[in-house]
Amino acid sequence: MDFNISDELKSVQQLAQQIIGDFTEVEKLKAIEETQERFDRELWAALAEAGLLGLDIEESHGGMDLGFFSLATLCEEVGRCVAPVPVIPVLVSAAATLRRFGTDSQKDRYLPGIANGSALVGAALEEYGNDDPAAPAATARAIEGGYAVSGTKFAVTNAAAASRILLTARADDDLVMLLVDPKAAGVTLNPQVVTSGETRSELVMDKVQVPVEDVVATGKKAANAAIWALAATRTALAAYALGLCDKMMRMTGQYTSEREQFDRAIATFQAVSHRVADCYIDVECLRLVTQQAASLIDQGRDASDAVLMAKIWCGDVTHRVSQASQHCHGGTGVDRDYPLFRYCLAARQVELSAGSSASLTGELGARIAAQYLAADA
Amino acid sequence: MNIELTPQQKALQQEVREYMKTVMTPELLEEMRNDDLKEGGGPEFRKQYARMGADGWIGLSWSKELGGKELSHMEQYIFTDEVIRSGFAYPFLTTEAVTPVIAANANDEVREEVVGGVKQGKVVIAIGYSEPSAGTDLAALKTRAVKDGDDWIINGQKMWTSLANYADYVWLAARTDPDASKKHKGLTMFLVPTHYEGFSVTPVHTLGVRTNATYYNDIRLPDKYRVGDVNGGWKLITGQLNIERLSLFTHGQVDSLYQETCEWAAATDAPGGGKVIEQAWVQHNLAKVKSGLEIVRLICWKQAWAMDQGPLDMADASMAKVYSSEFFVELYRMLLEVLGTAGTIGADSPGAVLRGRIEFRWRVGSILTFGGGTNEIQRDIIAMAGLWMPRTR
Repeated sequence: MDFNISDELKSVQQLAQQIIGDFTEVEKLKAIEETQERFDRELWAALAEAGLLGLDIEESHGGMDLGFFSLATLCEEVGRCVAPVPVIPVLVSAAATLRRFGTDSQKDRYLPGIANGSALVGAALEEYGNDDPAAPAATARAIEGGYAVSGTKFAVTNAAAASRILLTARADDDLVMLLVDPKAAGVTLNPQVVTSGETRSELVMDKVQVPVEDVVATGKKAANAAIWALAATRTALAAYALGLCDKMMRMTGQYTSEREQFDRAIATFQAVSHRVADCYIDVECLRLVTQQAASLIDQGRDASDAVLMAKIWCGDVTHRVSQASQHCHGGTGVDRDYPLFRYCLAARQVELSAGSSASLTGELGARIAAQYLAADA
Repeated sequence: MNIELTPQQKALQQEVREYMKTVMTPELLEEMRNDDLKEGGGPEFRKQYARMGADGWIGLSWSKELGGKELSHMEQYIFTDEVIRSGFAYPFLTTEAVTPVIAANANDEVREEVVGGVKQGKVVIAIGYSEPSAGTDLAALKTRAVKDGDDWIINGQKMWTSLANYADYVWLAARTDPDASKKHKGLTMFLVPTHYEGFSVTPVHTLGVRTNATYYNDIRLPDKYRVGDVNGGWKLITGQLNIERLSLFTHGQVDSLYQETCEWAAATDAPGGGKVIEQAWVQHNLAKVKSGLEIVRLICWKQAWAMDQGPLDMADASMAKVYSSEFFVELYRMLLEVLGTAGTIGADSPGAVLRGRIEFRWRVGSILTFGGGTNEIQRDIIAMAGLWMPRTR
């Protein structure tokens, strides 16, 4: 039993805080938000320079190889500043999955570029009405030298900027995980403006030819890779949400301590301070389940239940802390000149991504039933 | 970061679990059907408590000097969790909260008498803090102790003095300086032997278990039963609150209710065919319970681990208390919903589900949101100590 964060990880955290903090001054964020891409390439380069894009990439591919827990810690720091960088799709869904399930030549080809910031590999795990990449509706037909892929994915981050996009498709009864070139013939990217304010992409594929060297895995291995990618993505979203919520709660504690009505700080009303105290309890709960899920994945152990619980808490806590923060800020909370709105929008985006609390509670319940029915039979 | 019990800790958990099965004898279970003996005090309880003492299970966390094994807080939590899971009315406040304070502050004679007696499983101590008009504002208590020669004369009334109907002593907070500049500075701690003349008990029947009102009528108490300095009682009271909480909210006692409900739902037919657990709403409740329970487990482990690293963070201790006390009540409700109307049938009536345990636990559990430091005060502490917000008024 050890809840300690190692000294090595603490220095990673401090380094990330310092760099991300420097790049997320309000004026800088506003300038990035003016662009359609909403991607701070200078911050990305600075993170690469510091080695932080390679936290969960092997040293032989230019990474630091500190494991998944350290990558989740980076996601938390990005969330704390709502920094406009695609750490979750690129570093978690794509790179960390490729590292564990990709072929040697794919790792040689893609991971060093991700670690040094020169290349992006994105991920498209969601289809309309289906957030399970292990059961996609998109199809892959075997052709000479690879597959022809058809189908639609959506809400893909920075799709146009990516050299490849990691996704899954169904090949008859089999599953295939592949890297699709967004510039290949048959790919259409349709811009989608989402709650967070980002412009994401609907990715429509019509018989897109994927050469064999871009086939990551097939069959059982592809299923394991898809399950891993989803679990890692959900855990990273929870870590990102932890950063968001911790910051929203502290902003609210500070704001209510300064804002005066009836000649006193509104924080001195129990009705107000208790609402903020409830946020503190929620944030601590989210921290505990997220750390548990991340450390299980880090150690390569079964994290299925832990990840579901982390994402359930993530959805509930982002909703509650975000609404409480807005409420306690009054009109200031909804004003786009005050930083809180950015957190609230990002919180709603995270809450609904890769499985909502309601759907995952249903999934966890079905797992509990299966477990006890099996024991009873 | 590795959130798991070590092999040694798992072995301890298993050892305590097996041992406690031998403590919960059929005779004890029968004796506990009497409402007045649910919280201990009957002859079979006394016999098993003394056996735990003889077998060396009491005071594991104490210093070696006192005959303990200096277990870490983590190991102590594992022990506590398993003992409570077993259902034995082990007097944790006696062994873990009060006795170490007595050992550190009492004179040699009383230390030998009381600490030695607890170690052997022969002594139980009730807590005499609350009064009819002093609850959350404990320092407002009025019970008086007045010096008379070498003795103290005690007069007053205490409320919610649980276990006092069979305890050997009351750990009593009394006012020794009515003119102190601040009311908490005029308090002194005493041990009152319950066989002394002037001491009496009347039962208070709560939603769940029996507790007591206790009366102190001109009790003449030798000075040797004063513990710590005169007017120095407050820090003895507050010093052990965190340790007290670590035995109020444990994971095993509620986890076992969740598991039993799952087993029941998987074995019981649903009206429309299939088993109860195959219904979506049942799965929803069970999943909500499991997600909440996971936090209880992690909080308990983190608190025990943190206490081994140094003093416990105030905001985190309060967070644990609020979350656990409010979740326990939610858990009872969500599990009772799964059991349905049959969940209301008492333990001794035909048709009782899971021996009426959840229904009973709910009746006991509602005291925890205000007992042990009411949750409003805990939220004040979280806002101040955790978020540096100004004091509410």
